[in-house]
Parts: sequence; structure tokens; C-alpha cells
Amino acid sequence: MISNRHGSRRFRRGASAVAALALVAAACGGSDDAETSVDDAATEADAGDEAEAETEADAETEAESDGDTEEDAGDAEEVDAEAEDDNGGIIEGEQIEVAEGTVEVRWFIGLGTGSQDEQIDAQDEIVKTFNASQDEVTLVPQYVDNAVASDVLATQIAGGDAPDLIGPVGLAGSNAFAGQYLDLDPLVASSGYDIDQFGDAKDVYRDPVDGLLGIPFAVFPSAIFYNTELFDEAGLPYPPAEYGDGGITMYGEGTEFEGEWNYDKLEEIALILSVDSNGNDATSAEYDQSSIEQFGYVHQWTEDPAAQGSFFGAGSVVQEDGSAAIPEQWVAEWKWYQNMVHVNGATPNADYQASDALAGNAFNSGRVAMANTHLWYTCCLFDEDGNARTNFNLAAVPNYEGTVTSKLHGDSFRIHKDTDNPEQTFAALQYLLEEGALDLLTVYGAAPAREDIREDYFAGLDEIFTQGVNWGVIMTGLDYPDVPNHEANMPNFLESDALIKEFSAPLMSDPDFDIDAAVAEMEADLNAIFGT
Amino acid sequence: MATTLFAGSPDETDTVDIGDGRLAKRERRRGLLFVSPWLIGLTLFFVFPIVASLVMSFTDYRLVADGDEPTKFVGLENWRTMLGDDNVRNGLWVTAKFGLLFVPMSIFVPLGFAYLLTSERLWGRSFFRVMFYLPSMVPFVAGVIVWRFYLNNQSGWLSRLLRGAGWEGTPNFLNDKNWVLPTLVFMAMWGVGNSIIIFIAALNGVPTQLYEAAKIDGAGKWRLFRDVTWPMISPITFYNVIISLVGLGQYFLVPFVLLGPEGPPEGASRFYTMVFFRETFSFFKGGYGAALAWGMFIIVFAITSLLFWSAKFWVHYEYEER
Repeated sequence: MISNRHGSRRFRRGASAVAALALVAAACGGSDDAETSVDDAATEADAGDEAEAETEADAETEAESDGDTEEDAGDAEEVDAEAEDDNGGIIEGEQIEVAEGTVEVRWFIGLGTGSQDEQIDAQDEIVKTFNASQDEVTLVPQYVDNAVASDVLATQIAGGDAPDLIGPVGLAGSNAFAGQYLDLDPLVASSGYDIDQFGDAKDVYRDPVDGLLGIPFAVFPSAIFYNTELFDEAGLPYPPAEYGDGGITMYGEGTEFEGEWNYDKLEEIALILSVDSNGNDATSAEYDQSSIEQFGYVHQWTEDPAAQGSFFGAGSVVQEDGSAAIPEQWVAEWKWYQNMVHVNGATPNADYQASDALAGNAFNSGRVAMANTHLWYTCCLFDEDGNARTNFNLAAVPNYEGTVTSKLHGDSFRIHKDTDNPEQTFAALQYLLEEGALDLLTVYGAAPAREDIREDYFAGLDEIFTQGVNWGVIMTGLDYPDVPNHEANMPNFLESDALIKEFSAPLMSDPDFDIDAAVAEMEADLNAIFGT
Repeated sequence: MATTLFAGSPDETDTVDIGDGRLAKRERRRGLLFVSPWLIGLTLFFVFPIVASLVMSFTDYRLVADGDEPTKFVGLENWRTMLGDDNVRNGLWVTAKFGLLFVPMSIFVPLGFAYLLTSERLWGRSFFRVMFYLPSMVPFVAGVIVWRFYLNNQSGWLSRLLRGAGWEGTPNFLNDKNWVLPTLVFMAMWGVGNSIIIFIAALNGVPTQLYEAAKIDGAGKWRLFRDVTWPMISPITFYNVIISLVGLGQYFLVPFVLLGPEGPPEGASRFYTMVFFRETFSFFKGGYGAALAWGMFIIVFAITSLLFWSAKFWVHYEYEER
């Protein structure tokens, strides 16, 4: 019996060791916590991303994607454009049939705009029209939640399953995948596609070494979006509807508020438009910042430090000698905004922005009077029932020390360098840039890079926003772009960009945030990342 | 002699055919056949990735390479980088600070609740057990989203409650670097239903005659707990400690969903796992990420081994001879 006991103890010890190893191995197996299985964790993480995205999407129009299944079609192979409801961020869309004898071109959507529910249906329609228009290519869209699109694309590329066509994608999104794009010059030459129609913009995406990596598709200039109801209620003149010489313009001409339209004037107006629960505005000594009901101004989804810094003037953190330095005007802007948030209480801090009242989409909530943002924000100016807002208009961007900067975003499509079907993919790309352009641009809330279709584009927007929006002023912003662009590439882009973005959280949440010290630290860290 | 199922441990006279006979060989083949799906799955999806990740940790592998540069062997460079990486140090420090609060609380809070929920004086015990377990049934992300609203400093119910109770200047639970970790620990207590169930089972499993004997010897409530309950449930406590530690090493989902991968404010919630996530999936540095994953493996393995060693001093197995 004693030997049995020893055997039993040996067994227990062995079992304990195995159990320990299993537990530790499980630790590296991906389960998130003791109570969550591997699958659950993955599913929940995805759901979290979706939920987070929905915080913004909630305010947007709700157009459900029906995901209808196409009828049976002879020998056609049916490809589920998207897999299941929750498949690593891939969103369900309509099933596309790959017709026999055609080449399948997979179109990856989500790295930039395009994966919101209300956009998917419209893109499906464009894809169907293209597929029906010819018999050589079947375009199959793959919609991926923007929050995870970068990871999904990276995984696909690493796994040798890169999509053929990627986009629309902005500069920052494309920088993350630098080196992955096909040079389009040979395809442009062989197809005879006219890229001169884009004017000077045709070479925006040209790399001196890698060639033509993209063709301009959309531009998103920025402007001041203002809430007409709140201005009327306060008895204030609207912000200027057009730019003057050199972009300099006046505010409230002939009124007691008259003055040059610059950021000081914007701040002055924003204070009057900020109101607490007792009805005091931010110019009052009684103003209670713990119960603000209405704010004067916000950088609407443009709080990326490089982006908001550019409101005070374009700049680059990369110096001529390759070292890192933060542009002075950016630092000035960050301090101005910190003051607006934490001292004036005229801009919602992080808690207010996440609160029920603003619900992650501050200007659309109707509680913010002015927002500096891009044309793409037309995506998200809808009430809970999906009705377009009619209480806003657009105005000129204020100047900072005599310089006007209408920060610019631009989108393009890219072809992956490993595509097996470059000609067919380029054919699909041409369709998106030509016949499909107007519908796509409306879906994306983007102004066409092609000037010849801009009028039609804004006519379409006027059908949605019926109040007669001053689209002209935002397009005039194209005369005052940020050059160099705030999304321009820089050494070790992903890490550098992430480091700069970290600045945003304390700026928005910490009243005591020492900007000068943080800038010095950021420069040192950037130099380390740059290797300078 | 034929063995009888469920009749106790086999003694030395029990015989099974473990030799090289045809029957034994056939049984072994069949056994292997039956377990082969699991073995194949284990090899393909577990052993191979683990070995591959170890190999990867010695390379400069990137998920997305800039151009067509091939992956190169870099020796111990990733490991050296890891040792000198401030983000890694911060991640470990944040994880350790969180663990110092989380691990003890993940033992004593559910144990306390289990004690209450096994009390004979508690009316509606089953109801309360269900109520305490219910949060564990809520998908984590859904729960986290609710918590985010709950903890919002402006419109959150908790802040409103505290302000209503007269506490002006309520803490900014998620944006104050001194409060964010305690807040996360507090949130973690919301999901201790599983541990409560396990402790209830353990408490119910303590033989009543031990309590009776101890009472006859004059033991009070504290002595009963210290000298009877605690030793008798120590294997379960040990299990829960291991589970908590492993969970600590993997703690990611809640801060990621609640606060984002940057781990605000000022890195105060940037756990080691988030450093791993950023390096691997945001910066696409697969080789370095693999080294970070193995770093965590080594740490968790070392602590777990230490715990197993220490078990002989504090874990009581009823029928074990020491």
C-alpha cells in the first residue's frame, strides 16, 4: 500500500506539473482571462471594436444592409462577399457571384471610409452595375470594420492572401502599408487612361522610387461647420461665408462683434455660445464648468495632434536633417485648444464628449455651435431616425497670425503589388474613378478629385441637406491646404504616428497637462524612433 | 481479477493488460486512433505555433514588410531590445501594480461572498447565488461598454450618485492615473461569479464533523475558519490563485475596450499585453512581438512554478501524507 501511495503522490505531482504547464501554456494561448474562452475573447474583442465604432455610427443614418442572396445562376460560383456576421471585423455584405470565365478581383474596403452600414448597400449596387457591364472581371467587395481593417489587411498580406484592390484610403492609412502598392505607370500607359484630367493632383501619390502608387479619387477640404439655431438663439452673426484676399476675412461686419476672423475671434464667439445648466455663458464669472449644457467649439474628430496642430499652420515633425521637431504653430494650437477645453470650458473635454449628451458625435448632438472638420463629416449629420440635419451651414476657416489653413484629406485606391490580375484590377479601378465615381463619392461624403463632376456631386448633397449649404466655401478651402500634409509619411511611420497620437488623451482629459514638457519628451522619443 | 467500476482505487492485485500482447497493442492503436484528432489539432494549432513563435522571436519578421526585404535571423536582438524597452518596463509595472490589488481581491472577495451565500441564516440563497453569478453571463465587451457609461465623470451614474451623496469633485475614474487601476480592479470584481460558485462548492465540501469536533473543543468562529475551513478549501484557493495569475498575465480585453491600446492616462493602464498588442498588431513587428509573448510566458511560468513549490507550505490535501 505504501508503494501505492508513493505512486499516487508521484501521479499527483506529475499531474500537477502537467496541469501547471497546461495553465501556463493556456496563458500564451490567447484566452483573455480566466473566465473567458479563446473564442469568446476574440469574439468579444471584435464586438468591442464594433461597439466602439457604433458610438460614432449611432448618430448616423441607419440604412440596413439587407444582405440579400442572389438567385441561383447556372454554373456561377457564389462567393460570399463577406463571411459571417462577426468574422474578425469582416462585415456582411451582399453575395456576389463570380461568373464563369471571369477573373475575380477582390476589393478591400475599410482601411479608410466605406464600411459603415449605410455605405455598404450603395457600394454593392455600384459593384453589381460594374459586374453587369462587362464579362471579364467580377469585382467582389470585402467590407472590413475600420477599427480592425489595418490588422485584417496586414494578416491577409502576411498570409499571402492580399486583396487586389484597396481603398479608398487616405495618406495615413496608406503609409502604414508603404511598399505594398503596385506602380500604376505601366497600367496607365498600356490602358491609355487619362490621368491628366486630375491636373497637378495626378502626381500626389507618386513616389520618386516606387512610381505612381495611386490615382486621386476624392478630396476632403475642411471648414467651420456651424449650428445656425444656436447662433440665432444667441443673436450672433454667422461666421463668414467666404474667404477674402489671402484667405483673410471678417466676422460680423457692421455689428458690435466685428473683427478679423481669426482664432481669437472664434474663441470670443465660442465663449458666448457656451452655456451651463444655469443659463450662464462662458464669459460669466458664474459659469459652471461642471454642468455645461452647450459648447461653443470643437475639433470634430480632428483631435489627432498633427491634424489639429495644422489648423494653426502646416508643418512637419521631420526636419531637413532628418531629425524630429514639433512645429511651433502646432504647439501654439495645442495650448490654445487646452485653454478652450480646460480653462474656458468652451470645448467639451474627453468626459463630456463621451457623455450621453454628446454621444461621441459632439456637433451632431446639437449642443456644440461650431466645429472644424472635413467634408467627410457630412456622413454623420443625421438624427436618430436617419433624417439629415438642416440646422447647419459652412463657413470659412479662421486665420492664425495671417495664415489660413484648410486642412486637407485625400483618398485614393491602391492596387496590391502581388495581385495576379493587374490589368483586370486596373479596369475595375478605372470604373470606380469614372462611371462609378459620382455615386461612390456621394456615399463617402467626398468631393471629387475630378473637377468636371463636382457640380453634380454637390447637387446630390443638396438633395440630402435641403437647407442650402454653402458648399462653395469648403471647396475654396482647397486653395489653402496644409502643405506638407499632416498625414505625410515619416520615418517609422506607425510608431511615430502612434507616439504623436498619444498626446491627444492627456490634452483632452488632464487640465494640468504640461504641454511644453510633453513636447520635449515627444521630440526626444521621436528622434529615438527616427534613429537620429 | 476483474475490476469493478467506481469501487475505489485499484489495488496491486488489479490487473490490466499493459504488456505486449496483441490485445494490448490493438487497444493502444485504437486508443491512439481515438485521440488522434485531438493530437493532430494540438500539434497543428498549438505546438507548432508555439515553436514557430519561439523561432520568430529570433528574427526581424514583420507582418507587413516595407518592400520585399526577406526576414532575417537577428539572434538575441529582440530579447535585448525587450529588456531595455521603457514601454515593456512600464507594462510590467502596471501589470504588477494591478496584480497586487487584483489577485488578493479575486480570492478574498469571492470567498467572502461565498461565505455569505452558504450561510444558513440567509434567506433566498439560491436567488442571491443566481444574482451574483449573472454578471458572469454578460458578454465582457457589452459589460465594458456599460461600465464606460457608468463611470463617465460627467453623465455617469456612479459620479451622479456620489455627487448626490454630497461628494463634490468626484474622482475622474478613467482619466486620472491614480484612479484608473483601482477602477479596473473594481470592475474585475463584477465578474467574480465563477469564483464564488467554486468557493461555494468548496465550502459545502468541508466535512461537517470537522466543525462539530472543533466546536466541541471550544473553537470560535475565527478558529473554525483558520484551522478548519481555510486548510480544507486551500486546494480550491490554490486553484483560484493560479487562475487569477494566469488571467493577470493575459489581462487585456477590458482596458483595451474601455481605454484603447495607448493605455491612457499617460500609460497608466498600458498593461504588458497592450504593449505586446501594439508592437505586434499596430506596428506589425512580429518578431519582437513573439519575443514579448515569450517574455510573458517565462514570467507566468516562473511565478506559477513558485506557487506550486510554495503549495507544500500552505495547501492542504486531505489524504496526502507529508
